[in-house]
Amino acid sequence: MHGMVSDIGLARAGAVSGDVDHDRLIQAVARDRDREAFAALFDHFAPRLKAYLMRSGAPPAAADDFAQDAMLTVWRKAELFDPARARAATWIFTIARNRRIDALRRDSRPLPVPEISLSASDPERPDDLLEARQDEGRVRAALRDLKPDQIEVIQMAFFQDLTHAEVAQSLALPLGTVKSRIRNAMIKLRELLDQPVGDPS
Amino acid sequence: MTAVRQPSEERLLAYAAGTLSPPESVVVATHLAMRPETARWVENLQAVGGEVLETIPPAAVADDLLARTLASLSEAEPVVPPEPANDMTDLPAPLRGYALGPWRWIGPDMRVRDVLAPRDGDCRVILLSIGPGRTTPVHTHQGVELTCVISGAYETDEGRFGPGDFEEADGEVHHRPRTVSAEPCLCVVALDGQIRLDGWIGRLLQPFVRL
Repeated sequence: MHGMVSDIGLARAGAVSGDVDHDRLIQAVARDRDREAFAALFDHFAPRLKAYLMRSGAPPAAADDFAQDAMLTVWRKAELFDPARARAATWIFTIARNRRIDALRRDSRPLPVPEISLSASDPERPDDLLEARQDEGRVRAALRDLKPDQIEVIQMAFFQDLTHAEVAQSLALPLGTVKSRIRNAMIKLRELLDQPVGDPS
Repeated sequence: MTAVRQPSEERLLAYAAGTLSPPESVVVATHLAMRPETARWVENLQAVGGEVLETIPPAAVADDLLARTLASLSEAEPVVPPEPANDMTDLPAPLRGYALGPWRWIGPDMRVRDVLAPRDGDCRVILLSIGPGRTTPVHTHQGVELTCVISGAYETDEGRFGPGDFEEADGEVHHRPRTVSAEPCLCVVALDGQIRLDGWIGRLLQPFVRL
C-alpha cells in the first residue's frame, strides 16, 4: 500500500506524453489492422493492465493473461474507438473494467454484466464532441487538484475490489474517515469537472 | 445538478470502476440509459479511471507475451451488437440483453418476473409491475434495495418517483410504494437479502410470495 501517493507524482510527469499517438495507433489498428501499431500499444498498455489486475490481488501469471486478453479485445474492437469521445487510456480502461468483471464472474455465472461503453447512443452535436474531448484535459487537471489522501482513495476505488471497510483496514483508518474522504474527493471532482460549458454555476 | 433520485456518488464511482455487484450494475445502467446527464458524469469518472490506468506504475509482462499475443491475432471480424434477449421492446437498452423469467402473480395487479442477470449472493434483479392505485405490501429489507422506474410512477414517504428516477432503500426503511400513475408502474429492482413482509397479512403471504 505504501507508495500509492508517490505513484501520483510519477503519474503527473508521465501522463501527457503520447496521448495523441495512442489514439492514432488504435485508429491504425482499426483501419489497417496495423500489427506494428498494435505492438506499440501493447508495449505501453499491457504492463499497466497487468499492474491494474495485480492491484486487485491477482498473481503475476494471471495478470499477464488478463493483459493479453484485454489487448486482444483492443485489437478486435478497435473500430469502435471514437477519439472524439474518449482518449485511448480511457477507452482501454473501460475494456479492462468490462473484461475484469467478465473474468470475476466467468466460473460461477456465465451471463453478461452490462458493459459500459463510450459510444453512447444519445444524439451527438458538434459542441458535445468538443466538450467530451475537453473533459480529458480537465480530468487530468482535476486529479492534480485533489489532495494526496483523496487521490489515494480514488485510486483504491478503481484498482482494488475493496469495500470501504476493507479500504479502511488497509489504510489503518476508521471507516468514517475513509467514507468522508471518498465523499470529499467526489465533491471536489464534481466541482472541478461537472461544470457544463456555458453554465457558470 | 440534482442530487436526489439518482445513485450516490460512491455508487456511481463503484459503477465506473467496475466494482459494483452485477445486480446493482443492471439497475444503475438502466438509470444511466434514461438520464444522459448522469451518464455524462459517469463518462467523466471513466476518464478518471483512464487517467489512473495511464499513471499506474507499470508491471513488466512476461518476455514472450507480446509474441504470443501477436501470434493469436485473428483477422478482423465485424463487431456485432448483441441480439436482444427478450421481447419487451420498450425496455431501456441495458435490460434488452437479458432473458426474463415468466411473470408471476404476487398480489392483485402485482406481477414480478426475474431478470436473468448474474446474481451476487442473495442479490438479484427483478422487474416489478404494480397496477394503478395499488400499494405493495409493507416490507422491510435486510439489505439494500435499488429501484429504477422504467414507466409509470410511484410515491412513498420520500415523494414521487417517475421514469428514470432511482431510489435506494436500506434495512431501516419500512417501504410502502404506491402507484400514482394511470398506467402500471414498471420498475427494475435489485434486491439484496430477503424481503420481510410486515403485518399479519404479510406473514400469511410470506410463505407463498417469493419476491
